Amino acid sequence: MRDKSKVESLKVTKSNPPTPPFTKGGRGGITKVLLFTFYFLLLTFLCACTSHKERIYRKSKILMDTFVTITVVSNSENSAGKAIDNAFSEIERLEKLSNFFSSESEVSRINKNAGILEVKVSPDILDILDKALYVSEKTEGAFDVTIGPVITLYDFHKKIKPEESAVKKNLSLVNYRELIIDRNKSAAFLKKRGMLIDLGGISKGYAADKAVEALKRNRINSGLVSVAGDIKAFGLKPDGKPWKIGIRNPRIPPNPPLVKGGKGGFSDDVMATIELNDMAISTSGDYERCFILDGKRYHHLLSPKTGYPAEGCQSVSVITKECAFTDAFATGIFILGPGKGLKVLGKMGFDGIIVDSQGKVHTTPNIRGKFEFKRTS
Amino acid sequence: MQLQDKYRIALLSAYALALHGFESLLPTPIPWLRLGLANIITLITLFLYGIRAAIMVTLIRVILSSIFTGTFLGPAFILSLGGGVASTLAMGSVLSIAPRLFSTIGLSLIGALFHNIAQLFLAYFLFIQRIEAILLISPLIILIGTVTGTVNGVVSDLVIKNLKKTYQKIQN
Amino acid sequence: MNLNGLLKRTTIADKILLSILILLSFSGIIFVKKVLPASRTVQIEANGSLVYVLPIDKDRTVSVEGPEGRTVVEIKNHRLRVTESPCHNKLCMKQGWIESGAIVCLPNKVVVTIGDHEDEINKIVDAITG
Repeated sequence: MRDKSKVESLKVTKSNPPTPPFTKGGRGGITKVLLFTFYFLLLTFLCACTSHKERIYRKSKILMDTFVTITVVSNSENSAGKAIDNAFSEIERLEKLSNFFSSESEVSRINKNAGILEVKVSPDILDILDKALYVSEKTEGAFDVTIGPVITLYDFHKKIKPEESAVKKNLSLVNYRELIIDRNKSAAFLKKRGMLIDLGGISKGYAADKAVEALKRNRINSGLVSVAGDIKAFGLKPDGKPWKIGIRNPRIPPNPPLVKGGKGGFSDDVMATIELNDMAISTSGDYERCFILDGKRYHHLLSPKTGYPAEGCQSVSVITKECAFTDAFATGIFILGPGKGLKVLGKMGFDGIIVDSQGKVHTTPNIRGKFEFKRTS
Repeated sequence: MQLQDKYRIALLSAYALALHGFESLLPTPIPWLRLGLANIITLITLFLYGIRAAIMVTLIRVILSSIFTGTFLGPAFILSLGGGVASTLAMGSVLSIAPRLFSTIGLSLIGALFHNIAQLFLAYFLFIQRIEAILLISPLIILIGTVTGTVNGVVSDLVIKNLKKTYQKIQN
Repeated sequence: MNLNGLLKRTTIADKILLSILILLSFSGIIFVKKVLPASRTVQIEANGSLVYVLPIDKDRTVSVEGPEGRTVVEIKNHRLRVTESPCHNKLCMKQGWIESGAIVCLPNKVVVTIGDHEDEINKIVDAITG
């Protein structure tokens, strides 16, 4: 290649790079290639700039004396955070209204004025009481928010169970038919002195419903609110799949798990999973608040007829659209027992899973599609 | 003359391809640890034939090597293309605007820098949307680029000087 | 080989560029080492607000104040446990050492969690009822 023509075209000096041989109107080929590359890169750059990846954001807080976790799908941490905080505030607001142990709550005011006069209540409390009475009717009185006087006789921390006479006496104060609500005046009234309402069996589910409404108002289209074990799911995850909920095995561990609805540590054992498509689920179990005395298990799901813990089930899970109902019906059906419980589920058109006292699992027929059973024992 | 220059472009592209192939045979624990040997060819082309030719050589190298390895239009191809074009354009622009400002080492550093920056950008926007990951590896990549850029610059300079000598010998 | 000649021909611009690049990459590496987002963190919340965010690889003992008193968390060997808490049933303490997940002291409103964002997302279930 060492010929003279090459030398002529190669006048190379460090400080003076030659003009390239291809200057004449840029031989079409090169310019085209250059332009093509440029446009190609530009196009890919633009495509990439406009994609906003949706991710899952999750925050937890202790509210309503339990562990509340809110999960949302959003394309920005900012909007996710704001929506979640608004949902938490909503739950806090409801807690203030429904807290049995706080003297300023509307529930306390109703209780204090039992047998005296009616109390004006906010639309939310009216709604809760309305729904509670509805569930009472549908469960033949098994779910009854007026169980207050009996449940206060038990102390699950100190492992105290009441005397029979005390139970009998207070049982007369338990009757949901003596809770009167006036929708026009937005007021509630307990007819007898000494009656007490405790919304613990429905307020968490109701709070989950309201929290989801708050999230939707904040333009979240997909998420999960779990107030302890009362869970409401809406929308689909970023991968297009529905939310997957695990149902705890009532007997692993045998004693109360650390935190209802919590994740972590060794205490989680999931016996089945279910996919929720804009549905809610609640589970009532005999292992949540309980103690064992003289070989007998005393848990917090008391029968309004006997005043003692209901026997017949280990856990009941109910699935339907409203979490207030899944919460209340799970309690009611647990107390009714497997036989009557399944009938109620059928009549109401709900899905449900009942683990009876022998450990046998019964499910409603429709559920098998989205339900996966994993029990190992 | 155009025909001969065309041959030379082809030859330089072949060298670039060969160097690239050679480089890919070297075992590296880190996937992004590229020596950028083909940049030497790019730099030489820039000096001898100017920016248009250098871009041509780069494009031919990137496209052909990706076709040969079967990664044409894949992510590796896009990264290579982006890096190669960016570095060639950067080096060429500096050469035309301020030819005496940098020596070959400096130019090679600029080329390596723009090559890496372009690839980091493309990787972030197109493949890994997590900015933390990108930020995590950028300092390391820039450091490696600095080292390889220096070495490449030295080598390029030696080659160019050698070529100059050869031609001067021929002229005399 | 003409290395000496080459050295002479390196311009000031070259040297400035080289020094900037070296400086940039080294400071970048040091900065990144400090932040190191990928290591697992321990988050301790008391009474609804985040009190501590700690890396799990440094052994230490911290305490937080809740409505019922002081809860003490010990981090050691990439695990943690609750060593003291004013709650009645001491369930949080009974959990012992955990390597991932959470310990909650409900009465004292304390939540201790381990793990980073991705950890939680990749679990098989999104929530647990019951």
